[in-house]
Amino acid sequence: MFDLPTQIDLLHVSAVILLIATFGIVVRRGFSDLLHAYRYQTIILAGVVALIAFVTGIWELYIVSALTLGIKAIIIPKVLFYVTKKLDSPIKLEMNPYVSLRISVIVSALLVTMSYFTALQLPISSDDTISVFLPVSFSLFFIGLFIIISRRKALSQIVGLLTIENGLFLFAVVVTHGFSLIIEIGLMADILVGVIISSILLFRMSQTFDSIDIKNLESLRDD
Amino acid sequence: MFDTIFTSVESALVVSLLLTPVISGLLVTVFKRKRIIETTTIISSFLILIQGLFLLTSILEKKSIIIFDGIFYLDSLSAIMIITISLVGFLSSLYSVNYMGRQYDKLIVDRKKLVRYYQGFNMFLFTMLLVPVSNNLGIMWIAIEATTLVSVLLIMLYTKQSSIEASWKYLLIATVGLSLALFGIIFFYYANSVYDNSFNSIHGMDWTNMAENAPQFDPNLVKFAFIFILVGFGTKAGLAPMHTWLPDAHSEAPSPISALLSGVLLNCAFYGLLRFHIISSRSIGSEFSNTLLIILGIISLGIAATSIYFQKDVKRMLAFSSVEHMGIISASIGFGIFLGIYGALLHVINHAVVKSLLFFSSGSISQKYQTKSIADTSGIIKTMPITGFMFLIGGLAIIGMPPFNIFMSKFLMLSSGFSSENFLASALVILFLLIIFASFGKHLLHMVFGNPKSKMEKGDLGKLSILPMVILVSVIFIMGIYVPEPLQILIEDASKIILVGGANS
Repeated sequence: MFDLPTQIDLLHVSAVILLIATFGIVVRRGFSDLLHAYRYQTIILAGVVALIAFVTGIWELYIVSALTLGIKAIIIPKVLFYVTKKLDSPIKLEMNPYVSLRISVIVSALLVTMSYFTALQLPISSDDTISVFLPVSFSLFFIGLFIIISRRKALSQIVGLLTIENGLFLFAVVVTHGFSLIIEIGLMADILVGVIISSILLFRMSQTFDSIDIKNLESLRDD
Repeated sequence: MFDTIFTSVESALVVSLLLTPVISGLLVTVFKRKRIIETTTIISSFLILIQGLFLLTSILEKKSIIIFDGIFYLDSLSAIMIITISLVGFLSSLYSVNYMGRQYDKLIVDRKKLVRYYQGFNMFLFTMLLVPVSNNLGIMWIAIEATTLVSVLLIMLYTKQSSIEASWKYLLIATVGLSLALFGIIFFYYANSVYDNSFNSIHGMDWTNMAENAPQFDPNLVKFAFIFILVGFGTKAGLAPMHTWLPDAHSEAPSPISALLSGVLLNCAFYGLLRFHIISSRSIGSEFSNTLLIILGIISLGIAATSIYFQKDVKRMLAFSSVEHMGIISASIGFGIFLGIYGALLHVINHAVVKSLLFFSSGSISQKYQTKSIADTSGIIKTMPITGFMFLIGGLAIIGMPPFNIFMSKFLMLSSGFSSENFLASALVILFLLIIFASFGKHLLHMVFGNPKSKMEKGDLGKLSILPMVILVSVIFIMGIYVPEPLQILIEDASKIILVGGANS
């Protein structure tokens, strides 16, 4: 058993590692690199959940951590790797995103700053895990949102959505210390089904448009 | 207020209500014959309607039902939702036979897709029914997210470019929106857990528990959380400016599904919003959430008014009209007096009925004319007399002409706006309603009475497409003259649930 200061240090270090992993998603271009980056991030997230379980002593969180590892770090990347392998389009990387990768990093850094600032304003009493991880979960949410709006390829948008989901998940675990297991399982099931549906959509897109660039998806409008 | 009433009849009813669509979905998967899957779906949705009516009577008697140790909780508000879901669901399953049958004959869908359609249809009903019966707000969220996933599957049934675009936008925007709502729910849960020392995490997210503890919540946290909820569920409920996915998704779906999406699913999301509106009203008074609801309602009306004026596509016009009506419901709740809330809940039912009539008839019309463009669709009353007449009634009802049902609820809404002294808001509502009246009316008259462009064979599209419309038109007429007594009591009870939240604080 560690003493209290060591525990807090551990929490801080793991939070920083999680943030670095998230930046890893921001700077990736190729589809398989992107998915690898997402997988690393999720494995670290599972580790963070296990750490919180250790610090707070809530055994349910170990199960949640194992579920995260199983569903989000193994099954979901596997599904998406399969999809990228089968895609018709020869170009499997983010060619020229709306915001260049260099500026993306700067914007993401600003988003992290903003998250820390927002978290300070919140009337949530500071228990150690909350004060460490609340800003991180906000950062994940905002960076995921930023990835969705700044990228041109549908696959990058899915990874953005999954990053949002990871942030939400971290937030839920930290604030509630694990609400009932049924809800966690339901959440995971929703995410899994969502990923499968978006994979089918990716296939359809590459079949009908010969690419998964979302510039093809601008015909429905009122003018 | 929240007496635990355990009666085996109700618990059996709720369980069978939820199991019926699941079983029917399984049967569809097993049998795969066109005739059989159609009949199974019709029978199951009819059973759902009957069970819904039985539940309604017992809710009228007991006011609230808690069963299975608080997993399911039903009150008058849930009953209104259940009754709209089951009514529109049943009629939509009737209409599907004709509509999807035609698509099948025209080789737009094959057998495999037809099976997928009916599987999706049943699962869609299941997920929507799960929303109003679950007591745990986390499970309610999961059910609403599941409705997104199932309806995306139904929209991408056609492999057209436009349906791929619509489903992608819908999936992305609705999922991001709903994740904001979950942030809000967790904030509320946190506020609950801070207050309650004898807190257990299983019931901490229950509506009954939260509503009871609400007056002790931290006010700042509640405000913050409610904004998340409003943006999140507002996205799914089609409130502007988060409505951008709605016209695409609703216009690209098969018509029976458009009816369910517009008439019922929007209400399900709004139901989630309402539950938190009540909690927040109990905690910090109703003024905060009321103001926000009015603002979003007015913005929705304004955006719908301009979009309907410039609209060229029939189904998109109907979709924007849904944005308008969600705006009306939201503003009407926001006016915060009994009359307005009563009008809003009445409007939920009225809008569901009229909008499904319009989507059914416009589905038949676009199948006959083979276009969705307003300009190319003219003289419906000459080419398809009965459907044209139904479309006319629906159109007149939706723009609020007396003696149809929507006139009543719109009137209640406006008078509540003035008597609660929201003069600016009411004036804006009148302005936008007038614009919508004029532009929708212009499109409607052109479509119904204009001269048919080319020689078309005269005739409607079969009895099974007419039957659901006839039922809906008679409901519109009856509800326009008077609201049946049991329904009146139900809506009054539900309005009190929403209103008491404000008064108690």
